[in-house]
Amino acid sequence: MATAQMDIYQLDDPQLLATYLAQSMQVHSLADPLLDDKQSRPPISSAKDFFFQEKENLFVFDGECFRETLPTPSPVALFGVHSCDLTAIAYQDQFFADDPYYQARRQQALLVGIDCNTPCDYGFCYAVNAGPGVDLEYADIILHRLNHQQWLLVVSSEKGRLAISGFDVTPADSAALRQREQHIDHCEQQFGDFSELHRAIEAINNEQLADSFWEPMGLQCLSCSGCTTLCPTCSCYGTRDVHNNDGQITEQRFWDSCLFEGFQREASQHNPSLTAGSRVRRFWTHKFNQHTADQFNRYGCVGCGRCEQTCPGVIGVHSVMKRAALHANTDAN
Amino acid sequence: MQTLTPTSIKIIDYYDDGLNARHYRFQLLDKHSISAPTPGQFFMLHVPGVGAAPFTFTAPPDGDGVFRALVRRMGSVTQGLFSCQNGAIVGMRGPYGKGWPLQQFAGKRLLLIAGGCGLAPLSNLIDQLSASDTRPQMALIYGAATTAAQVLNPERQRWREQMPVYDVVEDKPINGLMGNALDVLDHVLGEQGFPDMLALCGPETMMRLIASDFVERGLDASAIMLSVERRMHCAVGSCGHCYIEHEYACKQGPTYSWDQYQALVYTSPSDQQLSYHC
Repeated sequence: MATAQMDIYQLDDPQLLATYLAQSMQVHSLADPLLDDKQSRPPISSAKDFFFQEKENLFVFDGECFRETLPTPSPVALFGVHSCDLTAIAYQDQFFADDPYYQARRQQALLVGIDCNTPCDYGFCYAVNAGPGVDLEYADIILHRLNHQQWLLVVSSEKGRLAISGFDVTPADSAALRQREQHIDHCEQQFGDFSELHRAIEAINNEQLADSFWEPMGLQCLSCSGCTTLCPTCSCYGTRDVHNNDGQITEQRFWDSCLFEGFQREASQHNPSLTAGSRVRRFWTHKFNQHTADQFNRYGCVGCGRCEQTCPGVIGVHSVMKRAALHANTDAN
Repeated sequence: MQTLTPTSIKIIDYYDDGLNARHYRFQLLDKHSISAPTPGQFFMLHVPGVGAAPFTFTAPPDGDGVFRALVRRMGSVTQGLFSCQNGAIVGMRGPYGKGWPLQQFAGKRLLLIAGGCGLAPLSNLIDQLSASDTRPQMALIYGAATTAAQVLNPERQRWREQMPVYDVVEDKPINGLMGNALDVLDHVLGEQGFPDMLALCGPETMMRLIASDFVERGLDASAIMLSVERRMHCAVGSCGHCYIEHEYACKQGPTYSWDQYQALVYTSPSDQQLSYHC
């Protein structure tokens, strides 16, 4: 992969950058870089909603004509986006490449990433090539904490360069870049052993996991949609028509979940994914199957661990993959 | 960029054609607003205030932008359409999906088998193939639950003049045949000989049973084509509802060969032997 051209600067306080950016755009902070112990924890809600909105108006019907209602968002900076979430945005950029609503929102956004210096409680980004350091291609600007007083600012895109032009910063030297690499290396070493996860991915792709493996997990799925809502790469949606006060009709799309019983049910009541187990199986194979990986150049999971954090049925990613690995081992013996 | 916004169409008229089914004529208000569909492709019908669902073109738009679709009242969208008066404006987007492989059918002995409303996606196929220079030698088996439920009655009447049409229903014998499409296969093959290719459309279980039956009889899985039905909201591969494993029926389908379909559809290691006898 070609290395993106980058400029590097020293920064005493990331808040100065946020304040500067706020002069020309809205700034949404997804992390507070000043809070040391929370620095490496992505927020429970990812940045997904900024581009693929939970509710989006698609068009209106006035009785004769249908008129597309594209959003016209103001420039916005997403400030302090973690590597897992930036990887998810890069994934959705591909998935929604031809979606005019997503792209209208996405093109107005400046992405200010933040490197993680320590693994978070549920995350395993390193195992799925989604962190802990921010990929230069996935953000316009990257913040990296060098020590308690100093930050490194990496500007990796033209959009980033434009956004900070006029911002009073001192260029950094390459030693700071080396320090960044060392921090990220050190963080990577602190992650646990991923062999179980890899065995599980293999088992999913080899179709080693029978219905008898998935069906009990179906019992544990409460169809609450917590996982699909929080998953930064989940992108399924439904549509509904809303009657407006002025007599017009708006078609709206809204986040849907493949774990809902009626997700695939047709008007005839035929349902290709009738059992909860089959829906749980599909969710996980969609995240980890090789076909998707070939298409998007990576798995659909970015290792944020939010599904594990939220699932009331204890079938988040760690629980499921652990069981899959165990099952594959038992099978092999 | 994709568009999810429909173009306006007017309901010209309809006639009843089967149980709770109507054959509609629609008029594109802007006749150049869509590209020409191939047989087996579909469109999204938007009933304002209710929602949208996929339907096949039983006849593609003509020079005046008039096209036809068979609609059976099943859920809210079709109920909404049935409540509209002639002249009402609704919406459509399309055409979408992969149609039937016309080139592969050319000059072959082609057996078409449909169940219920599954005859609709074969309708335009039969008409186009009949008009082509490399017209295949066609025969149709059409299974329905009852005679009252049979759809595309005028079309079958017309096709009978061009090709053998075997109607089979479960509630009474027709020309000595009764039951479903599978029940009459031996009889039809006895009269028509063994086909080079199959085109199937109907309930998924019916298509699975017939396809595996023909594979057992010696037909290559790649010579069996089927068109599947799925719930759809977007038809452009983004809403996720029509997934078949890692593919979306709206884009990579809805037409598949039996070998493609089998490679795609998950069969649990524990239920491989049961999967074709559902």
